[in-house]
Amino acid sequence: MAPGASGAKLLLMKSSLIQAVLAILIIGVALAFRLPGLNLRPMHHDEANQAVKCGVLQETGVYRYDAGDHHGPSLYYITLPFAWMTSGRNFAGTSESTFRLVPVIFGIGAIILLLLFREGMGRPALLVSAGLMAISPAMVYYSRFYIQEMLLVFFTLGAVAAGWRYFKRRTVLWAAAAGFFAGMMFVTKETVVIAYAAMAGGLLLTYFRERGRAGVQADAYGSTQKVPTGVLDSGHILAFLAAAVVVSVIFFSSFFTNWKGPLDAIIAFKGYAGKSAGSSHEHPWYYYLQLLAFWKTGPGPAWSEGLILLLALAGAIAIFLNKAAGDRLFLRFLAVYTILITAAYSVIPYKTPWCLLSFLSGMILLAGVGAISLFTMFRANFGRMVVVVLLVAGGVNLARQSWGTNFVYQSDPRNPYVYSHTVGVFMRLVERVETLSLIHPEGKKMLIAVIAPPSETWPLPWYLRGYGTTGYWVDAKDLPEGIHPAIVVASAGQKDPVRSRLAGDYQEEYYGLRPDVLLTVLISRDLWDKFISEGGVAGVEKKYGLPVPAPSR
Amino acid sequence: MRVPSETYNRQLVKIRHGQSIKVVMTGVMMAAVFVCSAQEDKKVALPITLPKALFEGTPGGIQGVRLDPVNKAKKRGAFMVPAGTALLSSKKTVTASDPVTLVGTLDQVTDGDKEGADGSFMALGPGSQWIQIDLGSTESLYAIMVWHYHKMARVYRDVVVQVADDADFITNVRTLFNNDSDNSSGLGIGRDYEYIETNEGKLIDGRGEKGRYVRLYSKENTADGANHYIEVEIYGKPAVK
Repeated sequence: MAPGASGAKLLLMKSSLIQAVLAILIIGVALAFRLPGLNLRPMHHDEANQAVKCGVLQETGVYRYDAGDHHGPSLYYITLPFAWMTSGRNFAGTSESTFRLVPVIFGIGAIILLLLFREGMGRPALLVSAGLMAISPAMVYYSRFYIQEMLLVFFTLGAVAAGWRYFKRRTVLWAAAAGFFAGMMFVTKETVVIAYAAMAGGLLLTYFRERGRAGVQADAYGSTQKVPTGVLDSGHILAFLAAAVVVSVIFFSSFFTNWKGPLDAIIAFKGYAGKSAGSSHEHPWYYYLQLLAFWKTGPGPAWSEGLILLLALAGAIAIFLNKAAGDRLFLRFLAVYTILITAAYSVIPYKTPWCLLSFLSGMILLAGVGAISLFTMFRANFGRMVVVVLLVAGGVNLARQSWGTNFVYQSDPRNPYVYSHTVGVFMRLVERVETLSLIHPEGKKMLIAVIAPPSETWPLPWYLRGYGTTGYWVDAKDLPEGIHPAIVVASAGQKDPVRSRLAGDYQEEYYGLRPDVLLTVLISRDLWDKFISEGGVAGVEKKYGLPVPAPSR
Repeated sequence: MRVPSETYNRQLVKIRHGQSIKVVMTGVMMAAVFVCSAQEDKKVALPITLPKALFEGTPGGIQGVRLDPVNKAKKRGAFMVPAGTALLSSKKTVTASDPVTLVGTLDQVTDGDKEGADGSFMALGPGSQWIQIDLGSTESLYAIMVWHYHKMARVYRDVVVQVADDADFITNVRTLFNNDSDNSSGLGIGRDYEYIETNEGKLIDGRGEKGRYVRLYSKENTADGANHYIEVEIYGKPAVK
């Protein structure tokens, strides 16, 4: 072998080794941000709701798809092994960590899945994207949040990657893989139609744009690519559809026990379309972009993932100017898809911050392309060094914000990703109930009554899952006359009518559920007197030990 | 019947005249004391300037909340204090259990800004915390007004207000208000009501207690783990020794 070739091989090996080390480092950083303190933040209304639904599946083995709410079944079935491993069929034995571990795994999985794009966008860009995904505050925050979103990101990336690989390889395996991921997207969340539409739009626009080019054409880097204009193999189409349909039927039919489920899944689109306007979650079109670009409310820090936005913009410009390294067709599709899905989510009035992950994942891929394009734009070492220094500084700033959003302001309304969240001090209520159960003769079997509309009830059913005799009423008038529960948790607005239906005297206390929602807690006088005679919190703590960990903030 | 002589009569008149003067003088003196005393006890309504309300009525989540009978009436009635009662706490020195604030500075507690917007309040960290106002000299206290936070409705826990003769709160400590029903702050079981923060603030009766230092405790609130203060106003008069 010529000495020059040997040197190039050595350099290549060295470069691959560095990339491997960087990849491992990125996964390590992603884990370090996602795994610790999963129970630090109290359960959000939606998280608790999902966990309780999964708890029913865990204890009874029964799940029925609900076309009106809760989204698809994948989250529950995927969580099931974790729940069983934690506490068998005992839902009360699970913890926040049991459930939040699932999005953590999918958050890490999404980063690993990026490897499938290495030929499409080049390894350097891929590493930058993986790094940004590992530390993006939004990505980290919702990787620790028990809802469908991170699963949807994972399956969407899987569908895009498998689809692109199919167009490159034209094998039945990749067609089936793309179908599998597309099916899993559907069984995860109904809003998947937005992603499907953006993907279709991306494919069509890329196709027509490329068809306009003269067949085979050299790009800016001298490579040539054939436009995939050939007729698709019908067998492959069948494999794609079969995989998607089989996966959907399996999950929506609750593993062949509820044949109405798949039909309900189709009907559900009508209901979700109706939710797109006229709700309390209506926000202006720029809401998501504002969250990412700059967010500051009240005294406290300012937040920004502007680095990702700017790099994504640079990436899209480089792609459209044919200045980006990587597979031109894939990059063009990626840019168009990301623009379309961002526009679609921005146009729909119904907005919740976690929905932005659907297009942020695309932006992060574009950002990787943008970073490398900026780097290669400079020929001189100094210019490249400046780009690297700026990127590292921006990355450190993102990581610092990730720490803030997840470990300092994790349930603080000043955090851009905290949305209608249970306040940290809500755990005082949980602590109070736990303390009182220690001194109540019936312990955790004491009667607890919760009287509140659903919007003011959750996440109580999660936190009271270990109390076997807990009743839930929406309205005070439904409460049996003369009832005497040990503890009553009532919507503050219903306190007086609730009191009028209770027998005996009660001590009143107030606890916050969300920043603007107060709950009244009524404690039966005999239980309260016993609590005081035992020395209050300090006395009970001393006698029985701390009932629950200190509340999160 | 014996008729008194003229001399006798004259002497009798003199005696009666002298007694009358004494009686009149005594009456005048008593009247003067009464008038002075009445002036001293004259009560007037405490003039309190309220900041702008930042929410109308009760927000959705807390409709119908009736914590304190004062809240029940929505509008607080006139609070009577002795004439001459004045604001004593303006710009007075404030210290706290934690010298490092989460938001704002301690001097905001007595700066006269009672508005609820961002920038008008300071906050201490989690757990039980106190702020203390040094009035500079011993005063008779008649009313203490507290605004913790009124941008949105919330309840501050374990609110305790004490007055003492010394800065360390060792000598002659008296509790004016305590709603720590389970003694979780360790200052004794309080019998006062919890209350929702509004722009009306919380009025605490000073009961004429004499003291130089006023300390206000709280232990977080129903929305977060911080202890906020927008303004504290202490009304009173120089203490009569």
